[in-house]
Amino acid sequence: MAPAQLYSTMSGRLFHSGRIAIVMVGLPARGKTHICVSMARYLSWLGVKTRIFHLGDYRRATVGQGGHVPQDYFYPNASPSSVMLRQKILKKCREDIYAWLNHENGQVAIYDAVNPTATGRRALAKEFAKHDVQTLFIESFVDDQEILKENARNVKISSPDFHGMDPDEAAQRYLKRIETKIPVFETMQEEELNYVRMINAGQAFFYNNVSFNYLSHRIVFYLTNLHVKFRTTFFVRAGTATEEDYKADAPLCEEGWAYAHTMTETLLRHREQERQAAIEQGGSDVPLRPLTIWTSTRMRTIQTAEPLREMGYKVRHRSQMSQINPGVCEKLSERAIRSLYPEEVEKHELDPYHHRYPRAESYHDLAVRLEPIILELEREQNDLLIIAHESVLRVLYSYLMHCSTMEIPKLKFPRDEIIEIIPAAYQNEAKRIHIPGLDPKMIPGSPEDIRIRVPDHSAQLPPIPGMSSPMEMEAASPEPVLTRPPEKIVNTAKEMVSDKVTDED
Amino acid sequence: MAPRRNGVGVQAEDTRICVVMVGLPARGKSYIAQKAQRYLKWLSIPAATFNVGNYRRNNAPHPSADFFDTNNAEGERKRRAAAEAAVKDMMKWFKSGGVVGILDATNSTKERREWVLDRIKGEGVEVIFVESKCDDEELIMANIRDVKTTSPDYVGQDPEQAALDFRNRIRNYEKVYKSINADGDEDHLTYLKIMNVGKQVIINRIQDYLQSRIVYYLMNLHIRTRSVWLSRHGESMLNLEGRIGGDADLSHRGEEYASKLPELVLESVGSDRPLTVWTSTLKRTIATARHLPKHYNQLQWKALDELDAGVCDGMTYQEIADLYPEDFQARDADKYNYRYRGGESYRDVVIRLEPIIMELERSEDILIISHQAVIRCIYAYFMQKTQEESPWVPVPLHTLMKLTPRAYGTEVQTYKANIKAVSTWRGKGSTAKHEDPKPEGGV
Repeated sequence: MAPAQLYSTMSGRLFHSGRIAIVMVGLPARGKTHICVSMARYLSWLGVKTRIFHLGDYRRATVGQGGHVPQDYFYPNASPSSVMLRQKILKKCREDIYAWLNHENGQVAIYDAVNPTATGRRALAKEFAKHDVQTLFIESFVDDQEILKENARNVKISSPDFHGMDPDEAAQRYLKRIETKIPVFETMQEEELNYVRMINAGQAFFYNNVSFNYLSHRIVFYLTNLHVKFRTTFFVRAGTATEEDYKADAPLCEEGWAYAHTMTETLLRHREQERQAAIEQGGSDVPLRPLTIWTSTRMRTIQTAEPLREMGYKVRHRSQMSQINPGVCEKLSERAIRSLYPEEVEKHELDPYHHRYPRAESYHDLAVRLEPIILELEREQNDLLIIAHESVLRVLYSYLMHCSTMEIPKLKFPRDEIIEIIPAAYQNEAKRIHIPGLDPKMIPGSPEDIRIRVPDHSAQLPPIPGMSSPMEMEAASPEPVLTRPPEKIVNTAKEMVSDKVTDED
Repeated sequence: MAPRRNGVGVQAEDTRICVVMVGLPARGKSYIAQKAQRYLKWLSIPAATFNVGNYRRNNAPHPSADFFDTNNAEGERKRRAAAEAAVKDMMKWFKSGGVVGILDATNSTKERREWVLDRIKGEGVEVIFVESKCDDEELIMANIRDVKTTSPDYVGQDPEQAALDFRNRIRNYEKVYKSINADGDEDHLTYLKIMNVGKQVIINRIQDYLQSRIVYYLMNLHIRTRSVWLSRHGESMLNLEGRIGGDADLSHRGEEYASKLPELVLESVGSDRPLTVWTSTLKRTIATARHLPKHYNQLQWKALDELDAGVCDGMTYQEIADLYPEDFQARDADKYNYRYRGGESYRDVVIRLEPIIMELERSEDILIISHQAVIRCIYAYFMQKTQEESPWVPVPLHTLMKLTPRAYGTEVQTYKANIKAVSTWRGKGSTAKHEDPKPEGGV
């Protein structure tokens, strides 16, 4: 019997999908890396073991630091030595993919390379099939000059070759250079292959034969929703209620209402300040993007949005965003839980993310429940304020900021902060905005959902991507600070792709 | 009626979408329209289909193929008038709160699509074209025989004659038919094009989430015949006491049902081809599934857990009526929307079941072992039960149901295990007791 709901089996792979190689197709500056990174973030968050293999990394490793591939490396009629080099690099990368799929229980390998010819792609699919791996090709095809220039500007200009050059000219030069370097590129038309052609960054899609399994469907739906528009997402906690009991679903208490008002003022002031700052930096005097508010259907979140609703903002209640269900252990002390459910405690300590106490939800359950919200979040064009319980914020934040599952149950969202998530190349950035003048008692707020402390492995673990916590409030905070300026949160997951930013492939 | 915005970021209007079907006759347009409408309504999104053929029939009840010849001015005029009437009614419906309107017609020329777009966009409704394109002559004739010869146009006519006439009617459309963006000059349209039953799909300029949901749903549909089997868990210890919710073990009779289930399933499936079994995470459904053959794969879904009764979990209806009399009344008055204190409503359950429905549409041969409220919601999806009806559908214990979706509606077969069990059904406005379902009740 499968232990968890998203089909994971004992091997850790999803149940009715086998191993998949997602093979990227497209010239440089087509946003392939952005697609890879977003997809990997989404799939890992869903609990699917995913890894990106950038062929460029292998090329660099092979030619060495500062070395260059021969001029005719990408030519169809390349010299024998270039062909040999190409095959050597490909072989190493493919071997790593197989090793990871076969010996490390990997499920989705994303193979990031140009793959410019139909012959090459057919051979690749055959090769993967021999190893019992299904292949899904994803081509990013761009013929819109504006998008091309934008991509080149954003990503490639930092290369020393273009130092001091006018950005537009550098972009043009860069695109020209790609053309000479890779003279032949055949767009996908291979009827027998499974492929998705994403045209002009999602303006259109062409799907061929993709109805082959569950995961490819999730991937396709995700790609369809992957947004490119710039918009921000704010996270805040709900105010405190008259009663903390999960089932009671109590209304806000007096301090909770005061919080709702202060939070609203802080948020609106912050948005206006950001707008003014943008204007001062030479931006045009455009109106703010519309702001939509999502709350759960729990009373305290609905009421926390009340001041905004009264001002005319649109508030939507989403039942999927209810807090994690604590199950039967909600009111029990740690000692009681240990004596009543010793086996459960043992399992919980082994895997605090997946384990669920009797009739409770695990964080994984919560993530699965929130998945439709994530997709809608990707699609949303307005700015978004999410008012929810800490457990829900943890899961949503972990998706946007690429945190590991080990970290999720421990993320902290003190009530005196609004978290703002800002999209940036490859990974998002976050800021915390201080809500001044709150009663210090309410700040740490939320009692732990299930009162078993998660064993702290942080000593053994390598630094986790994402971040440790928006804010550690464990130590008794000194005098309540009046106001703090917005602070940036460092997203270490960004470092994982930082070298790709200047990558020429 | 376009979305209003003001400078401080307040936005008023909500999305409204018109799905405009495109394609030659006998390409499954009405089938797609019907399923999309059912899915949306199940999700509480107001949806309605406006079939231009029905409007045309008022004016020309039994037309011959000539009527559809584009050179037939009279026919052309009447068909245009029918489209006008359908669009007019749809606009009226949008003003009364409609969200997704489906315009079911061939819309097979660029001119007609341009006309529809102008007419509808002008009123602030988003337009998405959905085309079903199929070149497989066998599939087309099969569809004609199955569906079209039973159409009201051919009442009382010889079926073979009717099929032939219909094929000729299609030829008239073929003369002027232009697939969306076939000439490359309709790239500004938002559209979904499904070719040869999903072998290839194109989507263009999808704007927002609701559009992408509709598109994703339609991409998941397949037309192979398959069935879905539904069963509740065997009778539980709490069922015996008349208590709701909880996480109890099976009663003695519940165990008997679990032992008999493999036989019942085999009888219904008719072969030893394996089913995939989905249970909830609660003990009683897992125990019910445990004797099924080893070669059946089993999965637990949290989303299949019983409706959460919040503070009332583990109580009898009598206790609820005594402790929370107002809630008890409120639940009877609007059972679909009533949310237990700290728990869930039927509406909430439907929302959490949506991914399950998506999976069901994609999969074949699934056996679901779940709980009363959850089975009611899944049943409501397939049987198009209204929100007033669905929470009251009797789903007796120790009974296996087989649902087989067909072009127009779903067939139901039930298999009784003939093992006694308490009734867990309670009539609307009745006393706070479980009782035997009234004979006219559904399942």
